[in-house]
Amino acid sequence: MDWNPLFLTFKLALVTTLLLFVVSIPLAYWLAYSKSKGKPILEAIVSLPLVLPPTVLGFYFLVAFSPNNAFGRWLEQWFGVQFVFSFTGLVIASILYSLPFMVHPIQSGLSSISPSLKEAAYVMGKSRWETLTKVLLPNIRPSLLTGVVLAFAHTVGEFGVILMIGGSIPGKTKVASVMIYEEVEALNYDNANFYSGILLVTTFVILVVVYLVNGGYLKRFFK
Amino acid sequence: MQYAMEELVAEFSNESGIPSQMVIGASGKLAAQITSGAPFAVFVAADTKYPEKLYQNGLCLAPPRVYAHGKLVLWTTRAAIAPNVNILDSKAIEHIAIANPTLAPYGKAAMEFMGNHQLLEKVRHKFVYGESIAQTNQFIVSGSADIGFTAQSVVLYSQLKRLGKWAPLDTSQYTPIAQAVVLLKNTELQEKRAEKFEKFLFSPKAKKILENFGYTVVK
Amino acid sequence: MIEVQIRKELMGSEGKMILDLNLRVEKNELVALYGASGAGKTSTLRILSGLMRPDSGKIVVNEEVWFDSEQKINRKPQQRQLGLVFQDYALFPNMSVKQNLEFAATRAPSNHLEELLEIMDLHQLAHKRPLTLSGGQQQRVALARALAQRPKVLLLDEPLSALDQPTRWRLQDYLQEVHKKFQLTTIMVSHDSNEIEKLANTVFLLENGKLVATGKPNEILPATPHSVGKVIAIEQEKNRTLLTVDIQGQKIKIALPVSRADHIQLGQSISI
Repeated sequence: MDWNPLFLTFKLALVTTLLLFVVSIPLAYWLAYSKSKGKPILEAIVSLPLVLPPTVLGFYFLVAFSPNNAFGRWLEQWFGVQFVFSFTGLVIASILYSLPFMVHPIQSGLSSISPSLKEAAYVMGKSRWETLTKVLLPNIRPSLLTGVVLAFAHTVGEFGVILMIGGSIPGKTKVASVMIYEEVEALNYDNANFYSGILLVTTFVILVVVYLVNGGYLKRFFK
Repeated sequence: MQYAMEELVAEFSNESGIPSQMVIGASGKLAAQITSGAPFAVFVAADTKYPEKLYQNGLCLAPPRVYAHGKLVLWTTRAAIAPNVNILDSKAIEHIAIANPTLAPYGKAAMEFMGNHQLLEKVRHKFVYGESIAQTNQFIVSGSADIGFTAQSVVLYSQLKRLGKWAPLDTSQYTPIAQAVVLLKNTELQEKRAEKFEKFLFSPKAKKILENFGYTVVK
Repeated sequence: MIEVQIRKELMGSEGKMILDLNLRVEKNELVALYGASGAGKTSTLRILSGLMRPDSGKIVVNEEVWFDSEQKINRKPQQRQLGLVFQDYALFPNMSVKQNLEFAATRAPSNHLEELLEIMDLHQLAHKRPLTLSGGQQQRVALARALAQRPKVLLLDEPLSALDQPTRWRLQDYLQEVHKKFQLTTIMVSHDSNEIEKLANTVFLLENGKLVATGKPNEILPATPHSVGKVIAIEQEKNRTLLTVDIQGQKIKIALPVSRADHIQLGQSISI
């Protein structure tokens, strides 16, 4: 019974979701409130991972970070990093891949708040940051939760991109989805079944707990 | 075998006038498809495992036959690296690409080879696994892996010939990679045509093509 | 003292409209902005509070320049010390009544809040969430919150329009009280001529973005015929109060809801 891939999957999903949360809030804020003419372009870019086949993203990633190409070479020379075959690379790819799942609900939530709430806070002398953290975000908790849950679940299920750039290294990039795929390939259907079942049950339990907690405990925590 | 087979199939179609189509995929996947009723006439694989399985399940006309043996090579597209067994252990090599040994015969051979050179435990942490020989090649070509084990037929393929550098490996250090062919039960017309193809694979013309791609054939 | 000379091109439902104003509000005045819908009343408040930027002009409040298009001065809303009561109250749903006030009052002393809760009769509701309150209660909270930051200037955007008559009357009394008590300068947008007559010293009449008249309420507002009489008897019934009013020799009996009549005394002059 190899638990490593499962731990790796959830570690990846957790790290990705946390970082995504931080990155997505400014992005969603801008998209919700900006009247700039460039907005449709940024919106399209953010939505791209929704329609792009994961293998395309994985392919571009492989090419971009390849040490035989300019960008990858620059990374290697200046920072000594290589993102392909590393957990960090998976996190970066997952952040890009799950971006719309976090940004869209938050953007939607922010747009649905009456603009007078923001204005009232400004007239009270509150800075944009204080308004965001004390007025806006606390009032879109369901949207924030949706974003977090979707991004997390999406990353748990990620396969195509990880397959392209992970290298299936046990303990580093061999996540549950890749392992299950390999077991199926090797015709070890019993194993595949077992690991799939665990993944399904664990994810389901996490989701149930999150939705239960959303009602009561989370409110107190956010104060 | 993909590249060599392209040429073999083209030559066969030319000679026999029988239009032939190649479907490329990992042996395991194809075997699963055939078991589910995919209408192929011939199954060619880089080992005997899957063809044997299909024969045991009663899907074939006759047991699989080995028509050639593939060779293992070291390949790199990184300018600063010269492919050699001895450098695998050095600091210059961070990632070594091999095909997943449980899924791909070339991966299995690579592991065998390294075991015989007492390298396995020293460099295991450097391995990156391609889910197929095709993906392994991707890792090598993109340079993400500094070096990797692949099939000789790959590096001799015209489009990839000038890409990077390769070195052949001592064939006594790994079990020869048997290329097997098996004929599948199908319509009478297809079965007859399939027999013709199998015969072609053992013909002198085919042997010449195979040798050009670095395979060893039975003379 | 507030001086506003501004010009702004607005897109209304009927098309373009130029808001072109030059008005002056004296200290401690309670003025009303009166006019038809779309005349530019709300826009004026938004410009004054910094939420909307005029195309050109100057705004000076208590000798501080808040906006000057020539000098390129434009103070952000955060830097303009005023209280604003929005038409939809804009109470923060994630905070209790008290927390709403505390959030606004970070620059003011804490006993001030106790006083406010007292005056606006909000003690019972201090720990409730805004969405659980009635319209009138929300209105009081919005007003209290605008006052919590101790502004010198108070802006009200049709603050009572969504409420029923009895509640309006009560809140008008609150408004008057706080305006006097905190020595505010108040600008109120309203449609209700009775309300304006009761509360305002001066009325600015806006039409299509222009100030067309300024004056006392009875000078500006359309006249409603009325008579003045003296209350000579008050009878309390179960659900209503009966007033006997002497209007120039004629005695009339009027029935009023108890809440409306509870501050009327014998001998008081009332207009009907």
